[in-house]
Amino acid sequence: MFSGNVKTAINSLRSAKWRSLLTMLGIIIGISSVVTVVSLGEGLKQQVVGQINSLGSDVLTVRPGKLVSDGSAKEKLNLLAFLSTSTLSEQDVTSISKLPSVGAVVPIDFVTNSASNGGQRLDNVSVLGTSSELNDILRPKMDFGGFFTKDNAGDNVAVIGAAVATQLFGGVNPIGHSVNVLGQDFVVRGAINPSAGGLISAQQTDLNYTVFLPFEPAKALVDGKVNISQILIRAKTGVNPDAAVADVQKTLLQNRSGTEDFTVLKQDQLLELTGGVVNTATGFVTGLAAVALLVGGIGIMDIMLVSVSERTREIGIRKAIGATNRQILSQFLTEGLALTIGGGFIGIIVSLLIFVLLRLYTGLHPVINAPVMILAVVVSIVVGIIFSVAPALKAARKDPIVALRGE
Amino acid sequence: MALIELQEVSKIFGFGEATTLALDEINLSVEKGEFLAIMGPSGCGKTTLMNIIGLLDRPSHGKYLLEGRDSSRLRAGRQAKLRRDRIGFVFQFYNLLPRLNVLDNVALPLAYRGMTPVRRAKRASDILELIGLRDREYFLPKHLSGGQTQRVAIARALINNPSIIIADEPTGNLDSHDSKVVMELFADLHRSGHTILMVTHNPELTRYASRVIYMRDGMVVEEESTSIGAIAKGALRTYLRKRKTTEEDVLAGVSALLKDVPGKAMTSEPKAKPKSKSKKRSRRALRKARR
Repeated sequence: MFSGNVKTAINSLRSAKWRSLLTMLGIIIGISSVVTVVSLGEGLKQQVVGQINSLGSDVLTVRPGKLVSDGSAKEKLNLLAFLSTSTLSEQDVTSISKLPSVGAVVPIDFVTNSASNGGQRLDNVSVLGTSSELNDILRPKMDFGGFFTKDNAGDNVAVIGAAVATQLFGGVNPIGHSVNVLGQDFVVRGAINPSAGGLISAQQTDLNYTVFLPFEPAKALVDGKVNISQILIRAKTGVNPDAAVADVQKTLLQNRSGTEDFTVLKQDQLLELTGGVVNTATGFVTGLAAVALLVGGIGIMDIMLVSVSERTREIGIRKAIGATNRQILSQFLTEGLALTIGGGFIGIIVSLLIFVLLRLYTGLHPVINAPVMILAVVVSIVVGIIFSVAPALKAARKDPIVALRGE
Repeated sequence: MALIELQEVSKIFGFGEATTLALDEINLSVEKGEFLAIMGPSGCGKTTLMNIIGLLDRPSHGKYLLEGRDSSRLRAGRQAKLRRDRIGFVFQFYNLLPRLNVLDNVALPLAYRGMTPVRRAKRASDILELIGLRDREYFLPKHLSGGQTQRVAIARALINNPSIIIADEPTGNLDSHDSKVVMELFADLHRSGHTILMVTHNPELTRYASRVIYMRDGMVVEEESTSIGAIAKGALRTYLRKRKTTEEDVLAGVSALLKDVPGKAMTSEPKAKPKSKSKKRSRRALRKARR
């Protein structure tokens, strides 16, 4: 009987192809957006986690802005702090580097977001001023050349990300060519391999789109007005990272005479924090997609009710030849389910297409997430059942005589 | 034991002022193997009677015994199963499902019985062979002539080998040639032992019946057994002869016009009804006549 129902359902959906497709649209949009968003979030998280883990557990991060505690156990970073001018200064870098518990101190100074090769200009890059010790912390794989060293501290040299290299210099070796930042030429000393990918901790800067300059020349570009977006610190070997955190915290507080407008994070805290931010964003968009699913479900109920009215006579005939109420109910339930499950599958296919496009044309790396897809199918089944029950009951309860008279 | 037995079956529709008495204490018994034709004017309750016998509807009062068991108070699911296994319907407008091909239409009742697709296709194919439409198996109903469509509907009614075939004006939508083909099919079924209940307006078709009952205002007003091949006398009187009503009757109103119809309930002086009619019945008839 069930296979018969499925056949009937598919026949009846095929007989009104456009209507079925439009009805499924709500489900398709809902499912594809949930799957895409969750996969994007997952991809982002994996990239960040990979990057953070690659830094090693003894690396601390100092960020401007204070963690806001909302009373619950989970603390959140004050997101607005990123938008304002950084509260971290060069003096902080100097004083931290004097601490005995600290090995290396690397400031990340955000200079600008554009760079050119004299002619072509890129506006989606992060030009960062930093010290040569970043190499020890990030250990990026290089395609050409190498990272700048202590000896280059005052030179106009640059290390560029893979995407910057490709877009400014095509396929050729960029070493020795110049990158122009704010009117100043910097000689390319190294180009980072694209597989280095990832982000510089939670600042969410793609290494592929980064231009690194030595700190001093970068500072000169902006007339000494540095904007330190974070400070990476490696604790000295054998020193407990917690002790280093306490030292750094103390020093920074001294610098600001007690005002705590910064956050010192260990790697695990950073992981949790980043995961939290991504999860919040994913949750928000998933909520929107759930609304789309709800609307899609209502659309299905609507069309099913129309279908039941249109097929009153058919219901009458089926009952006259011996269909029980339950059999009619299951027939229409199957039809609603076919709509939603079909919509769910098309939604997954659409999201897979979006994956391919995102991977081909953007720097985003969505991750195909099987549990989310299975969940999507389950959700579409649940939506199908919930929103088909009312029309199916209406069909099942029709009086056969009245139904037979119906047109 | 009669195959069908109705005991004082009434059916009332509507509430309060809008109450309609569709069937009025009908007593009817049909033996196995009978071909019963039911005649009467529109609105006399023929279809309601068929619906009750076909378990599509329930009587408001009275008892309906199908194969000796009271079937009027069964639950909907049980009735549906009895409909599926014991009763075959043939409708005036065929009522095939337009999206299913001939084979699937015929096999549909078997699907509700849970038979496997292969077995039901085989069975449907055999039945179509029997009625000579095997070569139309994969046609859609819209590609068949009226007569062929009705034969497919009959095949569907036969597929579960029912005890009763209920045909509601099966030739009402067919031309004379197709009517004859369909009626010959019914005659064959009758000869092979099927019990057939047929509603018709066409007196010609009483030739095929073994018994004819005439209905009016929800009552069986006359019945006669006929020999196969001969038109029933009552039907002849009603439909073939010149009208007996005069211009005065027209002026007198509807009740006078009804004296053409078989049965004597509507004549000005009601006489004893055929069979044993109760006094109550006569009084009710009188009331109606006055109305």
